[in-house]
Amino acid sequence: MKGGEALLEALRDRGVDTVFGYPGGAIMPLYDALLGSGIRHVLVRHEQAAAFAADGYARVSGRPGVCIATSGPGATNLVTGIANAFLDSVPMVAITGQVATPMMGTDAFQEVDIFGITLPIVKHSYVVRHIEELPRIVHEAWDIAASGRPGPVLIDLPKNIAAGEAHGAARVHAPQPAPVRADEASLARAAAMIAAAERPVIYAGGGIGIGRAVQAFRDFVAETGIPVVGTLKGLGAIPTDDPHFLGMLGMHGTRAANEAVQKSDLLVVVGARFDDRATGKLDGFAPGARVIHLDVDPAEIGKLRQADVALAGDLAGSLAALGQRPRIAAWRRHCLRARAEHAHRYDAPGEGIYAPELLRRLSFAAEGEATLTCDVGQHQMWVAQHCLIRRPERHLTSGGLGAMGYGLPAAIGAQLADPARTAIAVSGDGSIMINIQELATLKRYGLPVKVLLIDNQSLGMVRQWQELFFERRFSEVDLSDNPDFAEVARSFGIDAMTIDAKGQVDEAVDALLNHRGPLFVHCRIDPAANVWPLVPPGHTNATMLEGSLQ
Amino acid sequence: MNRTIEVSLTLAEGAIVRTLGLIERRGFVVHAVETATEPQGGALVLRVEVGSRGRPFDVLLRQITRLFDVRHAFLVEARAGQRLVC
Repeated sequence: MKGGEALLEALRDRGVDTVFGYPGGAIMPLYDALLGSGIRHVLVRHEQAAAFAADGYARVSGRPGVCIATSGPGATNLVTGIANAFLDSVPMVAITGQVATPMMGTDAFQEVDIFGITLPIVKHSYVVRHIEELPRIVHEAWDIAASGRPGPVLIDLPKNIAAGEAHGAARVHAPQPAPVRADEASLARAAAMIAAAERPVIYAGGGIGIGRAVQAFRDFVAETGIPVVGTLKGLGAIPTDDPHFLGMLGMHGTRAANEAVQKSDLLVVVGARFDDRATGKLDGFAPGARVIHLDVDPAEIGKLRQADVALAGDLAGSLAALGQRPRIAAWRRHCLRARAEHAHRYDAPGEGIYAPELLRRLSFAAEGEATLTCDVGQHQMWVAQHCLIRRPERHLTSGGLGAMGYGLPAAIGAQLADPARTAIAVSGDGSIMINIQELATLKRYGLPVKVLLIDNQSLGMVRQWQELFFERRFSEVDLSDNPDFAEVARSFGIDAMTIDAKGQVDEAVDALLNHRGPLFVHCRIDPAANVWPLVPPGHTNATMLEGSLQ
Repeated sequence: MNRTIEVSLTLAEGAIVRTLGLIERRGFVVHAVETATEPQGGALVLRVEVGSRGRPFDVLLRQITRLFDVRHAFLVEARAGQRLVC
């Protein structure tokens, strides 16, 4: 058996049936082994998209996504996707070709030190020096990627190792590490604090979905009755139309969510990390609250806000031990009243399309069952603010890295992980151009992914900040020379339509949910539309700017 | 404020660079490094004098400990000679 075959055999042993990649010189022996391997390879058109697609696949399936690239530029093109998986705690195994071991360190053709380049953005990494190590490394990489706080693991595979004969390479199946449990004394203290709280708030993060603790979390919310706010990645931990949910907190959060947090006397932080976009100015965040912090990663506890009780360990296990119902009827009524008073409005004037209303109608028409992937910018915040999201794995967004170009390839991964579910990539006219070549991947594989492009002819979020915080000095944000996106999509063989009036919204929503095969909907909106509300940079979440609907 | 951290590492490619890089990336300053091979072999002991401008050492210790090649890490208590094992 050759090295490449041994690697694929180890992946098959872990149940891998789909990988995303792009071939090249140093990785050719692995691509040779792929033929007849039983593993489906999805050929993307840029390595960055391979990593993003593997990321989307992993978030939906709950299992590590696998991406493959050759050495040199192929490997460096993976870097943004690896960083994205690292910052959003997504399990991934990234395999890169490398020049043959005798050539390493000689500045050979297409040689880069991808092991060194990615050290800060991987959970772990390997250079395979001996063929016999391959099965162990693949199994170990898989376990590291998937266990505890998930993340990406890199395997750098020299060409001669992939091509060489593996003698005596034993199959290895390392046992999965057991989940770590929080200690009983801390759980008891936390339960007592919850029972005694008068104005508690649950601050729900992406760890709930990634840790597959959604049901345990929902049981905890139902038992305690405590109001919930969510981070961008925590959306869907409970349905966004659940009566306990006050909205997203932070920079583009709801007033009800931010006010509840600021007034709270107890924050129960579940799988969240006090990200600056969620907290605003940290030293003014939830100033009167004690903190119970639950996280599978002990290194997140106390990093930015000291916890009064630290519960490091498996979230589901900890949540099951905390079902104390506090007496908070008045507080709940106050929170619900605030939610109703500050609810988003959709009565925008004029005949143009109001993107929040379009997105809201789309998600409700899908009954929260479609997988929505996002790029980065204004449309990303509108999705988070206005869409019905019923599960974390149905809202795929680049939260930590904020990588434009994520949405379309992530939708490809999501569609392949759950073929029966509609996957809709919501993008902007800046973001779509980062990985627009992946329309070719939709066409090649006949993937029924839908693309909803919100086009404001600018880099909208940057333009908004220049308008509000740089005295309207607009610098390099104009995209009014965009191509005709519908024609671009058609040139890839994708059906397309363009809309720009309110009266066309129903037709577009119907097409996005019912069109057979891939579809590209190009939606023109007012270039001056902004995302509201907004906490200005450097302020606490008590300061929220509001603007008019456009 | 300076403290000394002792880290026991599996002898694996990149283990030292990964550990020192993490310390610097997390906002600490590496002032001095000593290395030694553990008597039993197979592991490396790294003693790092680390400076902080207010970031907590206990969080850094947990960040180091979660690295796959790290067997254990602790703060060397300069005055009391005590060790806080993580």
